[in-house]
Amino acid sequence: MTVRLLFGAAVLVIFFAAPHFLAEFQLFQVCLIAATALVVLGIVVVTGIAGQISLAQAAFVGLGGYGPAILAARYGVPVWAGIMITAVVVGAVGYALGQLTLRVSGHYLALATMAFTAIVQLAFIHSDAVTGGAVGMQMPTLEISGKTFASGGTLYYVVLPVVGVLFLAVHNLIHSPVGRAFAAIRQSETAAAAMGIDVLAHKSAAFAASGFLGAIGGGLLGLLSTCLDPSQFGITQAVYYLAVAVVGGMQFPLGAIVGSAVFVLVPEFLQAFQTYLGLVFALLLLVFIVLRPNGLVSLASDLLRVVGGKQQRGAA
Amino acid sequence: MTSALLTIQNLTVRFGGLVALDDVSLDIAPRSIQAVIGPNGAGKSTLINVATGIYGATSGRVGFDGARIDGRAPHAISRLGIARTFQNTELFGEMSALENVMIGADRHMCGSYLSSAMHGPAYWRTEQAIRAEARRLLELVGLGNDTDVEAAALPFGKQRRLEIARALATRPRLLLLDEPAAGLRSAEIDELNSILLDLRANLGLTILVIDHVMALVMAISDHITVLNFGRKIAEGSPQEVRSSPEVIKAYLGEKAAHASHS
Repeated sequence: MTVRLLFGAAVLVIFFAAPHFLAEFQLFQVCLIAATALVVLGIVVVTGIAGQISLAQAAFVGLGGYGPAILAARYGVPVWAGIMITAVVVGAVGYALGQLTLRVSGHYLALATMAFTAIVQLAFIHSDAVTGGAVGMQMPTLEISGKTFASGGTLYYVVLPVVGVLFLAVHNLIHSPVGRAFAAIRQSETAAAAMGIDVLAHKSAAFAASGFLGAIGGGLLGLLSTCLDPSQFGITQAVYYLAVAVVGGMQFPLGAIVGSAVFVLVPEFLQAFQTYLGLVFALLLLVFIVLRPNGLVSLASDLLRVVGGKQQRGAA
Repeated sequence: MTSALLTIQNLTVRFGGLVALDDVSLDIAPRSIQAVIGPNGAGKSTLINVATGIYGATSGRVGFDGARIDGRAPHAISRLGIARTFQNTELFGEMSALENVMIGADRHMCGSYLSSAMHGPAYWRTEQAIRAEARRLLELVGLGNDTDVEAAALPFGKQRRLEIARALATRPRLLLLDEPAAGLRSAEIDELNSILLDLRANLGLTILVIDHVMALVMAISDHITVLNFGRKIAEGSPQEVRSSPEVIKAYLGEKAAHASHS
């Protein structure tokens, strides 16, 4: 328990100290990493833990951005409320999408979720009157009780706590009967059902969680980028999020953070190679799939095991 | 037998042109240990798969404690109190032995999603209870020292016992064991026998064993049903079944059946 308290205290100290040491742009990047990590966390839950391949994340992110923007433009709903309302609705959409798993699984599920992303993107592009069509639309500025949050320095105090709380919740969920049921379904659906686990309900719940997390992440990303461009919510982006999860470590919430950091920071170091960025990411993905299927985080845990000595586990 | 715990009435299961079970009826009395035996392809596993909701019945019915259960979803049947093991073991391979059993126990203490996400005091209490229950069950099947071992890394005999512990964690009234002795050495079979007898004595469990290894079923069964090519060919006490010419014919061939009579 004391370890937990110390860890919590350290996190709080770092959180409040960071703005004094980092430049405005760096804070913006931290926010970008956090929001991307939240999106990828959705993939960790549905694909990494529950074992259901999903390419719907880009659509969830898009809906999470357009939802509050449209609610604000048409009905004057405050952005923070719009993000929450949208996330709940998108969670429900995710649940409905999860019901698909009754009929399709594996590669077919990947294709079905990919089709979902394609349809949602087309809807963004062709509903000109509501979404601004291919040009996209402006994301309104976040205002909470008179204070505006428009820059990296101010959004930092909104984005990080939100992401932090949701990561904590998902971490707890994974280490609970619900998370165990997800993992059981990934490893053997037949056995999971024989243990009394309602497989379809749990798969749908995992999709709902990924929708909810993706939508909140999408809302935050929208606030950071200030504009919504429908080309950012297509199949390419869905694969991008999946790649982030693979590189970071699909089965661990921490993997979402590590992967997002890599994918946000690498372009900074490769300014000169901007044109070949897609290639770099593709190579990264291939290398990890072949050499490190459990991602960067598994590298760290393997190192710990080596350092920690061999007495940990006897011969099998 | 009107008070039977599990009743199978005129059950027929067809897969396309193949008749896996042909008009089989069977009653399992509470607190009994019963066996269904038969050569490969006799329809034994199909029987368990229908009783646990994995396959549907073509005709006939399966009743459990007075309620009709054929056609219900596997998880619903599990929650009614029927647990099973699998012929080729279906463990959660990446999880520890303890976690495997905890999953079985979870259904009884599962809190809401909210309490799972918050990890409040209620969560910690139930988590401790689940853990303790799982540890107790692992000790019961002789895996007390293997709690932290990954299930896939356990030797085969222990995997089988882990499946039994996991099934018990769902707190069943009826335990269905699909070839629990296959691939086990005779010492391991003796151990398994004593575990099963203990379960009935201490927990009042009803057990249906499906196997073609005679050593297990003959030693512990009260009642044996013999299937061959999807039909019931004999039924009775181990002694009766052992001396039935039909059974000897099915197992050892025509010649042996004649030899045993001379």
